[in-house]
Amino acid sequence: MSVLDDVLSRARGLIGRWEDEDCGTVTVKDFCRYAAAVDDLGYLRRARDQEAAGQPVEAPALFLAATMSWEDGPPEDELLPDGLAVRESPCTQGLPVRQVHGGQSVRLTRAPLAGTRVTASRAVTSAERKHGRSGDFVLLGLTTRYTAPDGTELTAVDETVVVLAALPKGATA
Amino acid sequence: MNTPAAVGDVCPPRRYTHSRLQLFRFSAVSWNSHRIHYDAEFAVSEGFSDVVVQSTLHGQTLTRYALEWAGPDACLESVSWRNVATAVAGEPLTWSGTVRTVAPCDSGVRVTLDVFVLRDDGAPCVTGQVDLTCRAARTSPSAEPCRGPATS
Repeated sequence: MSVLDDVLSRARGLIGRWEDEDCGTVTVKDFCRYAAAVDDLGYLRRARDQEAAGQPVEAPALFLAATMSWEDGPPEDELLPDGLAVRESPCTQGLPVRQVHGGQSVRLTRAPLAGTRVTASRAVTSAERKHGRSGDFVLLGLTTRYTAPDGTELTAVDETVVVLAALPKGATA
Repeated sequence: MNTPAAVGDVCPPRRYTHSRLQLFRFSAVSWNSHRIHYDAEFAVSEGFSDVVVQSTLHGQTLTRYALEWAGPDACLESVSWRNVATAVAGEPLTWSGTVRTVAPCDSGVRVTLDVFVLRDDGAPCVTGQVDLTCRAARTSPSAEPCRGPATS
């Protein structure tokens, strides 16, 4: 059995198993740090002005979708060799693979406001063996739904992750 | 505001690069510890020429320039994209967009853009679609103010 068969087998066993993650209460500081990292100074000014005026402050549109994890950790010695946490790399723990994002689809239902406690519910939704320019790979489908405490959907993200076998030492992709 | 937009309108292209520093900061703020985005030596060991632009940073760029084109009354409804090829730090990139559809909706006008991130040779490294709602008070008296400051 190849490493990609292992990934496929593991992924198919996880399909449809939803896991909830508490994202905590999002803050204006969180939003502004995100905006600063993408050099969106206009957002920074408007958000801080609104906060000073006592108005609600909405998150940058892709703030929830862009955040990989809301966990406190894991500590460095629990990361995989490529730097990913186990939960960010479903079905690949201990396997010699490399992975990249295939793409995303983000639907914005209601912008989260600062002060909202957010829950992320995530599941593997599909797993397929494919063949492309880089050779064989497994295409994982993941869905994450972000909701407010009343259950209202804020954002939904469908994403694909491309899992390839690790390169032999000294090889290039 | 660039509305009324018409099907086939081409948005002015935007040229930019992502620096290594920006990729590091974006990894930090998005809690993304994948080493291909900030560890050049590791990225090379995985077959890339430099640290790799994050997929979600591409999505951020697709969205931001679409909203800037549409103007302050525009709201993002959805965005989707596919990574066709890898882009790396320092690589000259160009955002471009073309209006695919324009349709009236409850809050004004809904505009769908086909969007691209192109490499210097014109080859796409990201293709996608951005759906925006543009408030059009003159044509929709019931139009509500656009959502908050979330233009990015």
